[in-house]
Amino acid sequence: MEKELKYEWNLSYRIEHWVRVLAIAVLVLTGFYIHSPFMGGGPESYTMAWMNFFHTLSAYALLLGLIVRIYMAFNSSFDRDWQDFGLIRNLKAAPEMLGYYLFLKSSYERARKYDALQAIAYPFIGIVIIFQVMTGAALYKGRLFGFINSSESFRWVSTMLGGESYTRIWHYLAMWVVIIFAGVHIYFSLLRTVTFRDKTFTSMFNGYKLKRKTS
Amino acid sequence: MGEKHLVSEQFLDALEFRGLSRRDFLKFCGATSALLGLSELYTPQVASAIEKASKRPPVVWLNFASDSGCTESLIKATYPNAADLVLDILSIDYNETIMAAAGKQAEEVLAKSLKDGRYILIIEGGVPTKKGHGMIAGKEMIDILKDFSGPAAAIIAVGSCATFGGVPSANPNPSQIVGVSEALKKTGVNKAVINLDLCPVNVEYLVGVVVNYLLLGSLPELDSFGRPKMFYGRIIHDNCERRAHFDAGRFVEQFGSKEETMGYCLYKMGCKGPMTSSECPKVRYNDKINWCIGAGAPCIGCAEQGWPDKFARFYERLPGVKIPGFGGIETTADKIGAVAAAATAAGIAIHAVASASSGRTKDKEKEEGK
Repeated sequence: MEKELKYEWNLSYRIEHWVRVLAIAVLVLTGFYIHSPFMGGGPESYTMAWMNFFHTLSAYALLLGLIVRIYMAFNSSFDRDWQDFGLIRNLKAAPEMLGYYLFLKSSYERARKYDALQAIAYPFIGIVIIFQVMTGAALYKGRLFGFINSSESFRWVSTMLGGESYTRIWHYLAMWVVIIFAGVHIYFSLLRTVTFRDKTFTSMFNGYKLKRKTS
Repeated sequence: MGEKHLVSEQFLDALEFRGLSRRDFLKFCGATSALLGLSELYTPQVASAIEKASKRPPVVWLNFASDSGCTESLIKATYPNAADLVLDILSIDYNETIMAAAGKQAEEVLAKSLKDGRYILIIEGGVPTKKGHGMIAGKEMIDILKDFSGPAAAIIAVGSCATFGGVPSANPNPSQIVGVSEALKKTGVNKAVINLDLCPVNVEYLVGVVVNYLLLGSLPELDSFGRPKMFYGRIIHDNCERRAHFDAGRFVEQFGSKEETMGYCLYKMGCKGPMTSSECPKVRYNDKINWCIGAGAPCIGCAEQGWPDKFARFYERLPGVKIPGFGGIETTADKIGAVAAAATAAGIAIHAVASASSGRTKDKEKEEGK
């Protein structure tokens, strides 16, 4: 089967991806500190204040990154990929792919860019990010973007979840969903690189992926 | 003295006769205007408003399901001293706990206030909605509330029981106690309620709201929980005297430790200051002597809706999580996250080994499948 290197991710897709990686890494680290401060501060330290600052800063990056990503899905000059995420089509294709990864099937139908489980997982993580932003905004006591009174405007989120303590718990548990997603995501990219030898892992660095020759 | 023409000599003499000197009275007026965010130029107006109020309108104070802690808080206030507050300044006609009259006499006073109308209705305590669970003189509390809320000029719910149910409404809540605003909704009365949520209410807030009403004839601006923004606009955490320790990352890990004696932040001891809106750090309690965090106790969140149930485990940061489907099994969010992550890691490891041993990672020809 003939293969060729295909330019799968242009620079803006890659930057957008790594901004999200960085934001999630900072959010998780600082989030753990805010959840349960694990370092004591010395006489001149400002530990918690910095943790809070970077947590908020990364939250903005995460939200704006998601908005940019959604815009790119519809209006990118490189690849408008929103049609790849059709839920019904992907749900139909998912059992076969799941079967392959559970060693029940020897192969599965490959999609144009995102295979079924990917195309389901990515929008799901987008929803988790929106959930995190909403619950985070409900917990944030400052002014969003400098002018939205956050805790008043997003109090309905806490009311829906049953109080601010529970908003904190949901916010914390949803973080674990993101962590688990990240772990599985990295594992699968490595697994594909090894089994399919298609340079999946390095494609997010240089943009090139080995694919079947089309036409 | 500019206030002379605003406050009559008679009134000041009357106060002096009762043991409240002019100086103390004006100091109180100054303190109240400061509390309301007015300049000291308003001190005479505050004094004059209080003088007018000493004639009318009266305050009707109803006690429902509570421990009378708010009344306690009121009579322990020294500015103004209790007797003056009750007899002259607020002209409280009816308060079950502290009025001298009893029985028929008291009920007559109450009936007269009801007839006159335009009083400030202060309610202390939650309202039982289950029949027969809360009655005064043979009448259901919720009916009393309905009767009195109609002619009231303003309704002020004081303390966490009256605002959102508070301690009496805590799980399992056999009397189905609710706060005043919810009880009014149930009886079909559509009237704004000022919620002064705290357990017990801070008298300075109450006096502030009453004087604000007397002075401007209007109710203060309220937030989405019906609490005056001037007292509940900021969270305790933002004004806390221990905030510097929080920002620095210096925390009390254990009661009775060295860190505690050094006044470190109580965040890890379950302090609910970051999610509780009130001016406690500034206004404090008992004539500004001290407040919970000042005394080394973490904030338990009594100024918020859903207290105490939703703030339970006062000495832990987050409540436990009940796992659905497992009855009473309660765990912590930390454990759930750690177990889920460990399960994922194990799953990945097993899958990796299985992939390697199945030969998938080696067979180059089968790689593309179909």
